[in-house]
Amino acid sequence: MKFNTITMMAFLLAIGFVQGQSLPDGQSIAEQTYARNEGNSVKRKLIMELTDKRGKTRVRETTALRKYFGEERRLIIFYETPTSVKGTAFLTYDYPDAEVDDDQWLYLPALRKTRRISASNRGDYFLGTDLTYEDIKLETKISRDDYNYKTIGIEQVDGQECYVLEATPKDEATAKELGYSKGKFWVDANIWMMRKSESWDIAGNPLKTVHVTDIRKVQGIWTLHRIDVQNHKTKHKTVFRFEDIDYSTDLSDDYFTEEALVDGL
Amino acid sequence: MKTKRAQAFFNWVTSHYKPILILSFAAFVVSVVSLPKLTKDTRYEAFLPPQDSVLIQRNAIKETFGLKDPMVIAIKNDKGIFNPTSLGIVDDLSEKLKKIPGIDPDQVRSLSTENNVVGTDFGILVEPFFESEELTNSNAKAVSQAIDNFELYKGSLVSKDKTTTLVIAEMLDSYDLKQHEVYNSLQALLADYQHDNHDFYLAGEGAVSGYLIKYIDEDAMRTNPFAGLVIAFILIFAYRTVRGVVIPNLMVLASVGIALGLMAFFGVDFYVITNGLPVVLIAIAVADGIHIMGEYYELAAKHPGLSQKELVVNTMLSMWRPITITSITTIAGFMSIVFSSYMPPMAFFGVFGGIGVATALVYALFMIPSALMLLKPQMSKAFESANTIDGFGKFMSGLGDFVYNRPRTILVSAVLIVVLGFFGALKLKVNEDRIANFQSTEPIVQADAVINSKTEGTSYLDVLIETPGTEDIFQPHNLKKIEALQRHVETLPKVQGSTSIVDFVKKMHQSVNEDNAEYYTIPDDEALISQFFLLYSASGNPTDFDNYVDYDYRLANVRFRINSGEYLDEKIIVEKTQDYLDANFNTPTIKATQSGKVALDVHWIGKLGQNHFTGAIVALLVVLIVAALSFRSMAGGVLTIVPVLISVLFIYTVMGVLDIWLAVGTSMFAAIAIGVGVDFAVHTVDRFKYLLAEKGLSLQQAFQEFFKSAGRALLFNFLALTLGFGVLMTSAVPPLNRFGFLVAVAVMVSFIGSMTILPAIILLAKPKFFITHKN
Repeated sequence: MKFNTITMMAFLLAIGFVQGQSLPDGQSIAEQTYARNEGNSVKRKLIMELTDKRGKTRVRETTALRKYFGEERRLIIFYETPTSVKGTAFLTYDYPDAEVDDDQWLYLPALRKTRRISASNRGDYFLGTDLTYEDIKLETKISRDDYNYKTIGIEQVDGQECYVLEATPKDEATAKELGYSKGKFWVDANIWMMRKSESWDIAGNPLKTVHVTDIRKVQGIWTLHRIDVQNHKTKHKTVFRFEDIDYSTDLSDDYFTEEALVDGL
Repeated sequence: MKTKRAQAFFNWVTSHYKPILILSFAAFVVSVVSLPKLTKDTRYEAFLPPQDSVLIQRNAIKETFGLKDPMVIAIKNDKGIFNPTSLGIVDDLSEKLKKIPGIDPDQVRSLSTENNVVGTDFGILVEPFFESEELTNSNAKAVSQAIDNFELYKGSLVSKDKTTTLVIAEMLDSYDLKQHEVYNSLQALLADYQHDNHDFYLAGEGAVSGYLIKYIDEDAMRTNPFAGLVIAFILIFAYRTVRGVVIPNLMVLASVGIALGLMAFFGVDFYVITNGLPVVLIAIAVADGIHIMGEYYELAAKHPGLSQKELVVNTMLSMWRPITITSITTIAGFMSIVFSSYMPPMAFFGVFGGIGVATALVYALFMIPSALMLLKPQMSKAFESANTIDGFGKFMSGLGDFVYNRPRTILVSAVLIVVLGFFGALKLKVNEDRIANFQSTEPIVQADAVINSKTEGTSYLDVLIETPGTEDIFQPHNLKKIEALQRHVETLPKVQGSTSIVDFVKKMHQSVNEDNAEYYTIPDDEALISQFFLLYSASGNPTDFDNYVDYDYRLANVRFRINSGEYLDEKIIVEKTQDYLDANFNTPTIKATQSGKVALDVHWIGKLGQNHFTGAIVALLVVLIVAALSFRSMAGGVLTIVPVLISVLFIYTVMGVLDIWLAVGTSMFAAIAIGVGVDFAVHTVDRFKYLLAEKGLSLQQAFQEFFKSAGRALLFNFLALTLGFGVLMTSAVPPLNRFGFLVAVAVMVSFIGSMTILPAIILLAKPKFFITHKN
């Protein structure tokens, strides 16, 4: 049923585009990105490559598991390399209600203790990368709650038609929380994934560019394989590469617990 | 033969005066069009040539760790700063700073921007010390407690008595030579920033550089016109005619304009001491004009019937030789600065000072006779006839009688000055302090004093730690070495505190152990330390440790805070630290190198003393050679340098007595004093030789003749130089001020020496050189 609605809407939008009529409004595009099938659970290798402005790179190989519990999203990351952080694991529970602080834990094997991480700002950087917790949570969605959108046109990104949206945070508190004063999103007009985004810091300086690439179907689900983030202020760079993606194995709920953090995979 | 060639030359000049004047004007215009391109560089790094290995390494470290010389604002409230109002001000000021053009908004550090790291029952919390929206008395008290528990910020960000806190702001790289713009914006911001019970101070290395640019600009606007005025005044006194004032001034203008114009054309930066160059050139360049105009009016008085062309050619015939020799000796003085100075600002001072003097000579030989050709013969009231002499002439004759009667007394005094001078030279103190570039009443000096007394200071010594492999810094024995280094250097005088990655490791170790102070130590587990950083990155900023450790965790920077910018303090610290590093570091597994402003200072200021003495000796030798060659007599050469030698030794005594440091400005005095001061001796020896050997006068006759004519011209030459350099004493830049004072005194001693000691030696020793030439 859902699928048909999306197809219908896409069809209608496409007709609107062809006839040169007004572009779909941003809020409805945001809703579309939420409606996309992400698979209930997924297991994948996540390789993080962090490069500082002098070109020095840290590579961290992890296995990341994600599962939806209704609207609640749980993510656990097990670090495999480098050796000094092997066995470290990170668990987060993202609650759909923005008012409720997410829960996060980090297990440090050298300390043999699980540490609860403070309820961080949504705009805080995620584990030394250039993506914020909010960015990680949304992945290729664009927020339906935080911005006022304006659809300003259609452009090609990596050969695909994308709606170009200008986004301004709904109020100053939201802007401060997110760390962005302005955003610009390129959302694929066919598969409703964000392919590219640009953001500006609170003072209005260009902050970063996110580029999502290598999008192809895995087990019938449109899946990204690479995210490049360039921070324009710190000149720091982050590359996320996803490999061995598996939606089909049903991941047990037990993986997403504090015990699993300690026990590992 | 030589005279004939000279005569032909000046005949040619006076016949082609129009094209020469046009060319002179064109050369001046072409040079000065570049002037607006002149850029100022007041950074302390400017004292080292770009290829200096220590500077190159310093820049690499700055680049690796993103270190800059910051603007520092101190907020002081005598009742303490841990209350909602004061903290609100800190927050407000920090936010306002972020919006100032040129300030890097990510590099503003204060209580409101820095993160607190605390351990809780269940984890570690990295969060701001306070939220500006939620400031209450109890929150403010909590911040106070947080600082008590945060070794790192105690004393560095907040004074130990809790009355002062700092906002530290770094500038964007693109503003490297525009610090004054940022400084001006901050100044304007603070000027309007009034809060009861709160005082605001602006200092720090970035502010010093920024303010210096503004400061030397204002100073130049004051001293340069003043020097011109003083010179004009002297010329009016000497000749009491319009051309006697205008023509030498045109030459001065050309000398200064062309020297600075070429500086701009070749892209040479304008440094703090360059500010003294125009005044120095004004004082020196005018001398040629004084001698030429003096001779011109004397001839006009003696031979009233001569045509203007005859007058001009005859004037130039008797003057070209002495002014060429004196210009060469002055250029030699400047050049010995070039050859002996390692520091670009001084070397360029020498180069362009030399160019200015050379320009003055060229204009004296070409432009002055040409300009005179535009005019009719004229008499000066100062030289009414060949036999009358004015008060200045009478004064000099009186001096001549005194010397003639008491030559021994004079020589004994001279010997006394020499002996005292050697003692003075031994007592000489090589020292420098950046903040001493300003008058002590300047707000920036007071701000610097407040910040240095309240906090751990803003003078930094950086020590770069290198290990061979990725994450090797995390090895506990390496961290312990760094910790021991910090504790050791902190015991040295004036070193108030330090920060390194070790402090963060210890803080995190404490935090993950429920904030138990017993865990404020380096854990013995390398993996744990790695994991701390991962833990920190879960809530902290990825760039938080950039200043202390590189991205591979292979290099670390230890920053020591020192509350003195004085070289003598810095020297002890750097030397003692080096001893420690030699004994404890520099093994195959860990290496340490000193850097930062403090190490850089010690590196270049240490060369000042040696550069100074080399420069003085080279100047003396060159002047000796030039004099000996031009008089074709070694005895004549040696005699010529006697007065300048005495003047330099006298200055050492003065410096010793008045406790004047041998510093950037003052270290140049000797070479210049020698090059300039020797002129009096050159003229004296030249004239006595002429009177005794060529005219065959008796000693007594020669004395009378010398003092009333040449002596009079030299008196004005001396007045122009002393008063010209004296103008520098009105400079608000203390180094220039002292430089001007020392050269003025040295010139005075040279003049008096040339007028007394030289004739006394001639009288007593009767050197063959003077007596037996033509007999």
